[in-house]
Amino acid sequence: MGAPYQTWQCRTCGFIYDEAEGAPAEGLAPGTRWVDIPADWVCPLCGTPKADFEMVEL
Amino acid sequence: MIPQEIAATIVDPTAFGGNGKRVDEAFTWLRREMPLEVGQPEGFDPFWVVTRHADILEVERQNELFHNGDRATIVTPIELDQKVRMVMGGSPHLVRALVQMDNPDHAAYRRLTYGAFLPQNLKRLEARVRDIARSFIDHMASLGGTCDFARDVAFLYPLHVIMELLGVPESDEPRMLKLTQELFGSADAELSRTGSRPEDAASALANLQGTVGEFMVYFNEITEDRRARPREDLASVIANGRVFDAPLGVLEAMSYYIIVASAGHDTTSSTTAGALWALAENHDQFRRVKENPVLIPALVEESIRWVTPVKHFMRTATADAELAGRRIAKGDWLMLSYQSGNRDENAFDRPFRFDVERSPNKHVAFGYGAHICLGQHLARMEMRILWEELLPRLQDVVLDGEPVNMDSAFVCGPKRVPIRYRMQ
Repeated sequence: MGAPYQTWQCRTCGFIYDEAEGAPAEGLAPGTRWVDIPADWVCPLCGTPKADFEMVEL
Repeated sequence: MIPQEIAATIVDPTAFGGNGKRVDEAFTWLRREMPLEVGQPEGFDPFWVVTRHADILEVERQNELFHNGDRATIVTPIELDQKVRMVMGGSPHLVRALVQMDNPDHAAYRRLTYGAFLPQNLKRLEARVRDIARSFIDHMASLGGTCDFARDVAFLYPLHVIMELLGVPESDEPRMLKLTQELFGSADAELSRTGSRPEDAASALANLQGTVGEFMVYFNEITEDRRARPREDLASVIANGRVFDAPLGVLEAMSYYIIVASAGHDTTSSTTAGALWALAENHDQFRRVKENPVLIPALVEESIRWVTPVKHFMRTATADAELAGRRIAKGDWLMLSYQSGNRDENAFDRPFRFDVERSPNKHVAFGYGAHICLGQHLARMEMRILWEELLPRLQDVVLDGEPVNMDSAFVCGPKRVPIRYRMQ
């Protein structure tokens, strides 16, 4: 069994990326790990770089 | 240079009023013929008109290269701009809220209330917001099958939600609504402070100062109260907040209250009213979303794109730059037309069709980049809940007269949406 899924949040707009749900509209299938998302990916709502997200526990 | 007739149209509040078609035609022409060009309507300084979705994102994501606060953030005639600067000690702004700020102030002031508007924190309010939505829907059901959906429901529901969050008593909500409509409807004869469209810059400034002044007097009392007796509300956060290790400046604190107490409901109200207008005109879309509630989030996004309640903001270049192959000079003023970006044929398939299944729907109605709307998650939640509660009860709806948008080139939405309907 893999590590529990994590959630990451944009520090500009609050967009939440949940690894379990992925972001299908952005081409990220459910189960896509944060580490597997390209470094140049940006927040789909506001364009903030991936590096400016933080892990959050919801 | 943009032809005078087109340039005059995109700053004319009445072109956005009525059914809004006149301004849509002007922006459609611009996107096709001059998607990024300088215009200079009579009485205005020249400015670039950014009409394409992609170019708006490009400007918005570079918030150090394109500042908000260096010049007026709303397209403003020269004479009014001069008068504002005269009364504000050289500043082009009557208020200094997040939309007039750049970094480092913008980030610091935004951080103050950022947490309150995060989705995980808004979730705690969901049950209460649902209760409020139900009470307005019950009210609508009691009206006997006809109402002005804008006045009777859409203006009141988001107003009540944000005033509870802010900590304004219910008895003061009519006053907050009136002041908000005066602020954004200052060019609309029915909504302006004096009941007529301002004739000149002096009367326009007097109206705005009167409204802003009344807001400030009100929130000054709230500040004193919350400093003495802090509560669990946003007003207490603003009144007792600290930025750069000091309390908020007076103008900044008052402006913070004003933006929450005005933009915090008016834009959601406009979008809600505009959505029902669109559903009443597009019965197939009404049926589709009523029969498939899973489409409600998409209905919300499409409504936001469709109405685009904030029509534009201005930016000022802080250095020479290139945008879409054009040279922008330091100090140039740029109009980001969200109205146009959200009808851009290169970004949206059949953009003039209201489509509750539109996907993707990457509209720019909330802006983009560091200045993206702070309240976007609250707005989405309020609208989702309203439709979740209203659509199962709403059996049928048609227009019962001509809906009308307010006259405003800045923040604009329907002021009347007369409907006939059947409800369970």
